[in-house]
Amino acid sequence: MSDQRIFTKYKANEIKSELQMVDVKKTKSVVTKKKNALRKIIANLTLANYSEMLLLLPEILKFWKIEDDMEVKRICHEFIRTIGSIKPRSTVDSLPFILNDLHGRSERIQVMALETLISIPFNKFTEEAFDFIIQIMNKRSIPEELMKNAIYALVQLDDYDHERVMSLLNILFDIVNHQLEKPTIQIAALHALYLIHEVDIKTPLPHISLDAAFNLLELLPTLNEWDTATLLDILPVTVVPQTHDDAYDMIDMILPHLQHVNSAVSLNALKMVLYLLNYIEEVNQAIIKRLSNSVIALLEKPAELQFLVLRNVILLLLSRDQSLLKLDVPYFFIEYNDPIYIKDTKLECLYLLSNETTLPQILDELEEHATDIDIQMSRKAVRAIGNLAVKLGEESAGKCVDILLHLLEFGVDYVIQEIISVFRNILRKYPTNFRSDVKTLVHYKDYAQETESRNAMIWIITQYSDILPDYLQLFETFCANVLKEAPEVQFSILTSSIKFFVRYPSVDTEKLCIRLLTECTEEATNPDLRSRAFMYWRLLSLAREDGNAITGEMLKDIVDGELPIIELNTKLDPAVLEELELNVGSITSIYLKPTSQIFRMCSMRSLPHSPVLHSDKSTLKVIEDISSIEMSHSNVAGGQNNRKHSKGGTPVVQTMNDYDRPAEKINQLRGNRKSSISGPSKLARKPSMLMRKLTLKKKF
Amino acid sequence: MSSLLYILNEDLEPIISRNIRALPSIEQPIAQFKKLYHLGSPPVIRSHSGQFSIYQDYSYAYIQRDSLFFISVIDGDKIDAMETLHYLEQFYQLLKNYFNVKQLDKNLIQDNLILVMELLDESIDFGFVQVTDAGLIKDYIRVKINVPQIDTTMKNKKSTLINSGGSQHDDYDSEELFGSESDEERKKQQKHRRKLKQHHRNNTTTKKEIGHFTKKVIRKWKGDKNKKKGQFSIENNDHNNTDEDEEDDTFMNSDIAKTTVMAISWRTKGIHYTKNEFFLDVIEKIEYYMDYNNDTVRKNLIHGQIVCKSFLSGMPELHVSINKILNRDKQFLSSCKFHQCVSLDSIEQGKEITFIPPDGDFILCSYELKRHVRDQPVIKMRNFELKPKLQKFKLQILCSIESHFKPTNATSKLNLQIPLKQIFEKYKIDLSKKIKFKCDSGQVLFNVSDDFLLWEIGMMKGGHGENPLNMTVEFALFNQEAYDKEQEELRNSMNPPPLVEGIKLDQIYRQVHEDSRESLEVQKHTERDKTRLLHINFEIPYSTVSGINIEYLKIEEPQLQYQSFPWVRYKTISDDEYAYLI
Repeated sequence: MSDQRIFTKYKANEIKSELQMVDVKKTKSVVTKKKNALRKIIANLTLANYSEMLLLLPEILKFWKIEDDMEVKRICHEFIRTIGSIKPRSTVDSLPFILNDLHGRSERIQVMALETLISIPFNKFTEEAFDFIIQIMNKRSIPEELMKNAIYALVQLDDYDHERVMSLLNILFDIVNHQLEKPTIQIAALHALYLIHEVDIKTPLPHISLDAAFNLLELLPTLNEWDTATLLDILPVTVVPQTHDDAYDMIDMILPHLQHVNSAVSLNALKMVLYLLNYIEEVNQAIIKRLSNSVIALLEKPAELQFLVLRNVILLLLSRDQSLLKLDVPYFFIEYNDPIYIKDTKLECLYLLSNETTLPQILDELEEHATDIDIQMSRKAVRAIGNLAVKLGEESAGKCVDILLHLLEFGVDYVIQEIISVFRNILRKYPTNFRSDVKTLVHYKDYAQETESRNAMIWIITQYSDILPDYLQLFETFCANVLKEAPEVQFSILTSSIKFFVRYPSVDTEKLCIRLLTECTEEATNPDLRSRAFMYWRLLSLAREDGNAITGEMLKDIVDGELPIIELNTKLDPAVLEELELNVGSITSIYLKPTSQIFRMCSMRSLPHSPVLHSDKSTLKVIEDISSIEMSHSNVAGGQNNRKHSKGGTPVVQTMNDYDRPAEKINQLRGNRKSSISGPSKLARKPSMLMRKLTLKKKF
Repeated sequence: MSSLLYILNEDLEPIISRNIRALPSIEQPIAQFKKLYHLGSPPVIRSHSGQFSIYQDYSYAYIQRDSLFFISVIDGDKIDAMETLHYLEQFYQLLKNYFNVKQLDKNLIQDNLILVMELLDESIDFGFVQVTDAGLIKDYIRVKINVPQIDTTMKNKKSTLINSGGSQHDDYDSEELFGSESDEERKKQQKHRRKLKQHHRNNTTTKKEIGHFTKKVIRKWKGDKNKKKGQFSIENNDHNNTDEDEEDDTFMNSDIAKTTVMAISWRTKGIHYTKNEFFLDVIEKIEYYMDYNNDTVRKNLIHGQIVCKSFLSGMPELHVSINKILNRDKQFLSSCKFHQCVSLDSIEQGKEITFIPPDGDFILCSYELKRHVRDQPVIKMRNFELKPKLQKFKLQILCSIESHFKPTNATSKLNLQIPLKQIFEKYKIDLSKKIKFKCDSGQVLFNVSDDFLLWEIGMMKGGHGENPLNMTVEFALFNQEAYDKEQEELRNSMNPPPLVEGIKLDQIYRQVHEDSRESLEVQKHTERDKTRLLHINFEIPYSTVSGINIEYLKIEEPQLQYQSFPWVRYKTISDDEYAYLI
């Protein structure tokens, strides 16, 4: 039967003739042939040959009347569904047949008919569906499969007629709250309520009472895997523990499911535990271990699933300061056959996991990748090394810089360019530590060809002109052809030339400065560049005039002021994090953005209130810094209060004038503590470019 | 929750689409996906067509397997992406299981369109995942799988040929019936018949085909034998095609319909075997990777699986005690994953695991253990040496291995695969001279096309490095002087060139490697490493490296009380990556 010709577009007439071919003799071979013709119809529907196939509707109905065969029936239903969802009106003729099936004897056919009814968005069909569902809901001893389908059908019907569904919801509430039916049905009802709530916020969210929740959790061992996953997906937010003990008990019930084979179950269990952690006082070390283990086990899955897990690992590392996960770094080492998206995500994880103790390991690994054949990979590795240097303290930065310098000798142009770009960031963070290395770096100035590295090189030369005796010659090579450069480079050339002039007013620098200013004002086509050049020009001429408000000192301050020390901002807004944590395993967790940014018209989710929720800032004036407790301490408190603490405790740097204060101090502190905290420091003014690069801004 | 499911071929054209939630169009999402997808894009994609776009935005979760894409289109937010991805993965496994193949391809799906649709229907209702257990659905859906074999395609070709000439045969028949015969015609007929008979004899497959065209023709053939055969084949054929289908639809275990919604969803009621047996295999795969030159061990892992086969009647409850759980081995407990039938509470209690097994094959438990870097590998390469003797134009390869496992055990299979590519590149090896092999045990083979030596040892006793096995291979190096001399002699002497007996290895080698030469230069770094791997394949029955042990295995069926036979086996085998980098 392997007939390839099934999958070609047919005209309606051709199939029609096949169907009518031998109506007289009803031998078996004829049946096969007819079935084949029916298969062709389905194949054609997949090929989107609708208009032709629509002509066959009468034929199909003829078949429906006489055939009892399951396969034929299935094809008929499939036909109506596909055509119906696109051209609902045209299929009205089939309604009596569907109804006939709906009230038939076989449970399977009933389910099939119900599904067909639901999938046609036309009021006649939906009316019938409603009637049937009401009829079923009111009857006792309905087969479970059918009941379950009827409940789920409501979710779909909600799209067509919201009001009417609302009137039926009470039955569902009863099922959930009073445990009238079998476990699966309860779950289905709960799920349906939940989904209907998602669409329309006015519908009350099925707040499950604690007793009901415990009852549901007790069902867990008796549910099949997918139902378990659903239940664990819904429970966060719908159940609110009122005392610490409630939360502890629930956690105990859920813990075994962290080890489930079905990754949906284990991830949802993780999500549920994370949710409950907001309602307890302290968390046992053993639980942290189990959470980490389940995550590690999930990393063994196929690449696609692994990706999702990795994204969620990032989320957890970001959201919990002392990090609830204790993961070994080697799990995140990149393997050459990983898909690109896994490689990127693993790099991010490594970055977040890095601290003084793990750094050597991570650096070794990254250095190996930096010399990889894969250009993209080696660039990313170099960049990651640079970011690590900025993130961690001075001591670690030294190690990173050593490696970068070592890689310079490797002598591949893209690696060198990347190193130059990265070096700028390191110098911004540690302006004095690596002065001696600047000279080595400048030797490689000719490699800088791309915009970013060129920019960086110009900046470095300008900034460290005091230790570079031949800075002007070096700079000349860049500004020889200003007008052909990329706009960003043009800007920095212009600024640098002004800086030189202000710093060392001499004939040479003045000449250079004037030349660039004339070029930029007269020949440049970019209006921004021109206006900037004019601005500088005026500034300089103002400073020249005597008796003006602007003195040489002030000019120097304006043009060549001290730069703020950069910080990598890895923090997200706590409210966003809170929401993300409730969405572990969902699409939002991949983007690490609040749901409202990804989906239009969507409500924020937040932790429901309860007497034991750690959310009130005023009640959480905890003086002792829990995060500084050594990890060997058996109990580590839940992350929530911690997060709040870090916000209240350390001054939030928000204004321009205190930029020079905190950075080093804070980093130092963390260095001394030597705990395995990986959550990076504190809020900075705004997310830096680096961080934005890290947090996945590209669109998928 | 998926709204629309697709299976796409490698060009992103839909093979199967299933509109679950009545989306207005099934082409628009796929068109959108095509735009969004690029090589290496992450498995969940969300489209952003902006505020004022006329199209709706969808999210796509996809997995790519064997040149097919399985895509789920999701509209709505806060969707459990993990569940969707896991479902796709499970569905893929389900299809593979159904077709009983290692790789799916698009033809297989196209041929079994209805079956795949049915499977989709059964596994997901209104976008909510129901069942994905193959064992279970197999009881539900029993459509004959249409697996194309080379035979059948041949058949089809022939059948079309013969069918096209069908009307002609009828003519012959009627003529024969009416007895109007002219000589010429008779000859023709006879010829034709002979041909057909030849077909008959030569190609057994045609038998069935003949059944396909009309009965008349066959009946008219002389000899009752043929007649019987013909008829038989007709019936056979029809049975194959139609009867089974019908049977599938009508015959269904009514209990099964309920199992999906029951607590124990993996086992149906009313299973009966005359002999009740349960097989439990503990299989440990060892992954070991060592850089021999730097003397560093990169990987030393055990991937363990407990594979079971159950042929038990009723609803038996099994108790298995594993020493690792008894001893609360931390590494084991943290890494092990159990089949869904195992009640996870029982592991918590830490004595034994209790479960009601599914019918047939299943993996009870899989675990992963790390070994210490200094732990001796099961088969250790003690020495690997290249000894070039340039004066003598000889190159010796020495290799010796030793075993590190219980002396009472022995390997049932042990192969060493020694890569030669690197050596061939480095040295000019003269294959026209004989290669000399010498080894303590087994035999050494030379694979010309893939450049490796295979040392087949077979059985090797366990121990702790007391009885190493050695092997020496000697290649001749190319000797320019001698070659020149020979050529010179050939040219000057009147003797015919000496007759070379046996295989001309050098010529074969050259032929095989001519094509690959070019691609060699573009080779990647990583692939280069691959050609330097010395693989060791082995299989050691009756032992596990991790020391895992089944303390006992009890089978209890409270209602039927039958005698049952539990079988437990252990085996250690090498993983794909048990290799030394040399």
